[in-house]
Formats: sequence, C-alpha cells, structure tokens
Amino acid sequence: MSSIDVEGAIEEFVRREFAVSPTDEGFGRHAHLFDEGYVDSVGVIELLEFIKHEFGVEIPDEDLFSPDFSTVAGIGAIIARLTA
Amino acid sequence: MAELPASLRGSAASVAPVGPNWRIIRDPLGVNKLFWTRGDDGGIVFAARPKVLVEQGHPFEGISAVPRGSITTLPADSADETAVQTIPLWQRSAARSLEIVAAEIRSTLNRYLAALASARDGAQFLVCLSGGLDSSGIAALAREHCSGLVAVSFDLERRRGESDDRVEAKRLAHDLNLPLVCVTSSPDSVLEKLDMVLTEGIDWRDFNVHAALVNASLAEAIAAIPTEDAKVVLTGDLANEFLADYGPEHYAGSAYYDLPRLSPGALRTVLVRGLDTSNREVGIFGAWGLPVVQPYAAAVDSYLALPADLLGSGDGKRRLGEAVFGGLLPRYAYDRPKIRAQVGSAGEDKGILALCVERGIHADYLRSRFASLHGTSLASLDRFIRAGMYRAVVPASRAGGAA
Repeated sequence: MSSIDVEGAIEEFVRREFAVSPTDEGFGRHAHLFDEGYVDSVGVIELLEFIKHEFGVEIPDEDLFSPDFSTVAGIGAIIARLTA
Repeated sequence: MAELPASLRGSAASVAPVGPNWRIIRDPLGVNKLFWTRGDDGGIVFAARPKVLVEQGHPFEGISAVPRGSITTLPADSADETAVQTIPLWQRSAARSLEIVAAEIRSTLNRYLAALASARDGAQFLVCLSGGLDSSGIAALAREHCSGLVAVSFDLERRRGESDDRVEAKRLAHDLNLPLVCVTSSPDSVLEKLDMVLTEGIDWRDFNVHAALVNASLAEAIAAIPTEDAKVVLTGDLANEFLADYGPEHYAGSAYYDLPRLSPGALRTVLVRGLDTSNREVGIFGAWGLPVVQPYAAAVDSYLALPADLLGSGDGKRRLGEAVFGGLLPRYAYDRPKIRAQVGSAGEDKGILALCVERGIHADYLRSRFASLHGTSLASLDRFIRAGMYRAVVPASRAGGAA
C-alpha cells in the first residue's frame, strides 16, 4: 500500500470517527490533528487501534511523539516506513 | 543493587550509583514516575515530578519520562555506551480458567501482604476503604497480615445523608471488625488541593484529577492521625484497569470520563498501558509523606491471563471476586455495582465530579491550569501525554544528579 493510499484511509477514518464536517475547510492531510482539536486524547487511542488493525503495525513510542504523528500525511509516512 | 532484576513487579523508580555507573530503573507498569532533562552543562537531571525540574529553570518542553519497564546503565565514562534492558510488563502465558487464576491472585496477594507486613513490622497500616469490591478485598486480606489495620473512608460533605460509598464502608468495616476513620471533606477543602493534585498527580485529565482529589483529602487526614509509628497506606487501585471495568459517567446531561471505543481486550491493554500516566495515588499520598502500596500490582501477570470472555461480561468482576476472596467478604460486597470513588453514589449525586462541574472546573480549565503551573503552552501538553503515555526517552548520557 502506498503512502497516498494510507493517507486516504487515515483521512477517511478521522473524518468518519471524529465527525469532521465535510465543509470544514481547515481540515486536510496537513492539518494538525491535536492542536486544532480534530483528535482528542481518547481519539488518538482509537486511531492507534485502527492503524494496528488496518495496516498491521504498532506505532513505536518514538514515532507516537514525533512531530510527524500530528498530521494525516505525517502518520501516513510513518506507516509507509514501518511497512516497507 | 549490583545485580539486574530479571523481573520486577510492584512499583519502583530510582537513580542510583552502581560502581562507576548510574543505574536508572522504572517498573514495568510505570506506577512510579521518573523524569529527566538535560542541564546547561550537558549533564542529566532527574526528578520524580516535572514541576521540580521546571522550578529549577528547565523548560517543560525538554522534560521526558524514563521509559517504564526499563533498566538503564549510564556509564560514568561518556566514551562507553549506555546499556538498556527492558523488563516485560508481564510474563505472557496461555489463558487459564478463572478458578486457577483466582487461586494464583489470592496466593500472590497473601504472599505480598505477608512480606510487606514483615518488612514494615511495627508500622501503622491503613487501608482506603471505598466500599467497592477491590478495596474491600484488600482490606479483608490485609487484616490477616497487618495487625492493627485501620480502614479509612472518604466522603464529600453533603446537604443530606451520606454517599453510598460511606454507607457501604461503614457496613464493611463493621462486618470485617476493622476500626474506621471517616474523612468528610468540605467542597472548599477538596478544591484548595487542586494545584497540588495537578503537580503531584502529573496529569490534567479529569478522571485522574478527580480521583486524586479524593486521595488528597484522605492523605491529609491520614497524615494528621497522631501516632509514633510509621504509616503505610494500602489501596485497591489497579484492579479496574486489569479488568477494564470502567465506564463513562453522566452528570447534568453531559458525559464524562469517555473511554475509547474498543473491544474489552483492547480496552484493557490501553488502560493498563495508561497506568504510566496515573500518579493519582503514589504521587498524592507521597506529597504528605505517606508511602502507598497497591497490592494488585503484584498480581498483574495473573490478571492479564484471565480468559478474555470475563472482560465486559457484566458479572465477570463479581465472579472473579467470589473466586479470589470467597467467604472473606460478606455476600453483599460482591453484588454492589461499580462506583468510582470520586463519584461516591449510584444516584444523581456525583460527588467530586459534580462539585468540579458546578464550580466551572472543566477539562479545559484543568489543561490550562496544568500548563500554567508548568510554565508551558497548551499545545505542548499533547506532546507530553499521548495515548495514555508520557513522552519517554532513554537518558543516554552521563547522569548529572537527582533533583
């Protein structure tokens, strides 16, 4: 699965599970999921579980706290690296 | 401690010289906390709480936790490599029947409490008795090992009556033949401890803050009990995480303490992992100079070997409780529904949760206050605790000292 496909799946998950409005122009693959309030402390756990089931990878602690793990695009890059 | 432990249960966090090196240990559950940052001179400074490091001038953003379940050996000679050994959280083993696991749990708790009583011979043992099954079980077992055991019950001052917890604690203490100290705190007395709870509890999330406010009131009262003997506090904490039997609370039309939407097994994994960021007992009682012991921590391997169908089954906790404690507890102790200590009653009166809501102390306020107390921004908090864990980094340099 390419990084773009992974990003798409994550974006769809975030939009669906965290009720992101289709008209929200601020949301995108480079929006900060935490600072901008799209994913809260409970939601990040659900996101990790989704990643585990969907892509078969567990995000290591160092990646979880990396700056990349704050946007859909960044998370996609982490998963692509871990599954390469 | 020259030898490295192959396994480690209970709670521990330390920085100690071993020969020419420094050895840094943190227990696998992460019950005890340990943080570090790098000083201006390049050395590493450790502390049990980030606030201590912030007060010494270190920026909050540069503070990391020592990874839970790790033993790090820092060489005194910076040319040598840092060695890190990981201690697994539990020994993975095949699921066993409830009866077998229950017998293991009871045996472990008995041996642990016997060892504790021996190690702290002459201490005044006190058990926090909420009236729930977890603390009642510890009280029932501890009274067999800890002579002079005293139970302590918390309640918030109410316009009328007592909380369900207080009523149940009185009944249990009577039936277990334990003296009971009743701590009944005014709303103002509870809330004046909020800043202390935020810094000593090292968390801003409401479910931990509210629980820590209960413990702060208990700790204050226990510390004031006149005795020449050293005090040791026992609690029934951790069993809820091991059995994933938490649920959200509702008050005034809103839901609080949301949990992730996961299968019971996955939820348990998350809750156990989240103990890394729960300092609501060790930190809070420690602030009053009181060592706190959570005996269930010693039995983590057995709890995590329970058959998966026990989790989320509705009566799983009752069945396990009966199998572990049997006739040590009266029948009614097994039939009581789960009630969080900070809520206290099954009805509309929601204890400290309601008090905080009514006083405008919401989740956003707690985040903001925590950030302010630590001289940092709101944005940095999500990079300090994420998915129930502290940002953890192995300290890889010569240790500079403990703060």
